[in-house]
Amino acid sequence: MSPPDVVMEAREVTKTFSEGREAVQVLAGASLALRRGEVVTLEGPSGSGKSTLLCILGCLLTPTSGSVRIGENEVSPATDLARLRREHIGFVFQQFNLLPALSALDNVALALRLRGLSRESARRAAAPRLEAVGLGDRAGFLPRDLSGGQKQRVAIARAMVGSPPVILADEPTANLDAASADAVLTMFAGLARDAASALLIVTHDPKVRRIADRTLVLDAGRCG
Amino acid sequence: MLDVAFRLLFFSRAKLAITVAGVAFAVTLVMVQVGLFRGLLSNATVTIEQADADVWITSHNTPNVDFPQYFPDTYVDRVRSVPGVARADNLLVGYTQVQLPTGAQEMLIVYGIDHPETWRLPWKLQEGTADELRGGHFMVLDASAARRFGPFALGEHRELLGQRFEVVGKSEDALSFTTVPLAFMSFQKAQDLQPFVFRNRTAYVLVKLRSDADRAEVTAQLRRALPYSDVYLREDWATKTRDYWVVSTGLGLNTGLTVFLGVLVGITVVAQTLYMSTLDYIKEFGTLKAMGAENAHIYKVVGGQGLFAALFGYVLAIPPTLALRALARLASLHLDISATFALSVLAGTVVLCLGASALTFRRIAHIDPALVFRG
Repeated sequence: MSPPDVVMEAREVTKTFSEGREAVQVLAGASLALRRGEVVTLEGPSGSGKSTLLCILGCLLTPTSGSVRIGENEVSPATDLARLRREHIGFVFQQFNLLPALSALDNVALALRLRGLSRESARRAAAPRLEAVGLGDRAGFLPRDLSGGQKQRVAIARAMVGSPPVILADEPTANLDAASADAVLTMFAGLARDAASALLIVTHDPKVRRIADRTLVLDAGRCG
Repeated sequence: MLDVAFRLLFFSRAKLAITVAGVAFAVTLVMVQVGLFRGLLSNATVTIEQADADVWITSHNTPNVDFPQYFPDTYVDRVRSVPGVARADNLLVGYTQVQLPTGAQEMLIVYGIDHPETWRLPWKLQEGTADELRGGHFMVLDASAARRFGPFALGEHRELLGQRFEVVGKSEDALSFTTVPLAFMSFQKAQDLQPFVFRNRTAYVLVKLRSDADRAEVTAQLRRALPYSDVYLREDWATKTRDYWVVSTGLGLNTGLTVFLGVLVGITVVAQTLYMSTLDYIKEFGTLKAMGAENAHIYKVVGGQGLFAALFGYVLAIPPTLALRALARLASLHLDISATFALSVLAGTVVLCLGASALTFRRIAHIDPALVFRG
């Protein structure tokens, strides 16, 4: 049994990809647990399998062996993965991935609309989240009219708007200048802790450690 | 998700313009071609549909109302003797030449009938009256003749095969499939135009049935009474006339091909631009999937784009269609675009654009949400 405050757990996860006749093992028994309100960074050299592990934790990829549990849900082939992602996981990407035709507010509200809320209800619920990331006055702006840091704040608001228990972030500051990166990370970690969401940040940047409660290093396909 | 579809569609103005222009082109093509087709067919059967006759009796194998074949005008007496017949009269239809004041000659189709008001031939008068036709060398000439014969007014005379006829009325919408205008005169005067051909002959016998008559029974009796004639109910005669033009002239095939090409152009443009648009937004759609969107959510967005493209394209097609209709009217061509037809085209446009957008569904279904973590 896992402690009750564990919101995501991976046990002995392996992943092997086939490349022609060759099998490449990327993960070789990675295990980790994320607790409510905890900020964890996952580091490792290029090709160490960070993105693969993130995809498996985010239910975007199935492991070759091992298991993943999200809240009370043991992920299995029968699991409705889309619903699990909608209701339990928020994502933040390196390249923001905002819909260019939607305003900042509508981009945030979109996460709620996928859960079945009407446009107006979703916008009402999204507005405070946008305020929380300091972009209340940019609600009507299109992504092209926002700076890189502002876009990433919108992406963070989008990831957090449904109060998911887990937020997975892939190099969220890689495309930001140092000052923006610092501000965004501090705010991101603070919001995650306030919302009692577990935040896992995959990064190359050792400076990100300063906002983390703990750091995991992926080496030889295992978390250390 | 329709609002998302709307915004994505409008976000890329160039693609929007191409898509909507493609749809508008296809809709205009279909509207004009089919409208023209319907207009010509409506010309072809206008006298059958407007005349107040329940039954038309023709010579054997007469192909359509504009190509009459002649039979003895005394057959009308046999018709009148059949129980269930309320009234029957001869109708002579024939091509003739009009001598114009310029010296030129033009074609005219003459409808010779007695009691024109009873049979509603002509059925619509702009000026004058059909009452005077029985009195002598008088005719009602259709207003569409002005384009071919030059302007004319009531009281003026025109020469038909050497006989002067005074214009006592101006009818409206009385023209043949080939847009040759119609003139109405008494049955006798029509026969006198070409005595060697028309003397004691008629082209049709028009029959009005008693209100309590059994149509099938009366037509069966008429067929027995006139073994060398064909007996048609009004709607059957209209169908035979229409079928002649559609099938034997290739008009139906021509229109069908044009509609097919229009539809093909529309579908191709919409499908191609929506497919390109889907490829442009593949990362964003992958993001939506990563966030938990089902394929159906994204289908709605792309389908919504198809729907809006259809609606905007349709609206954009209205002005050129109306302009072309006005232009066609100058050439006495009638673009018959009824509300039902216009709504059918709208429904067809929506269905086809939704179908075109559905061509991208397979691509959407194969978007791997994990691509969002691949830089």
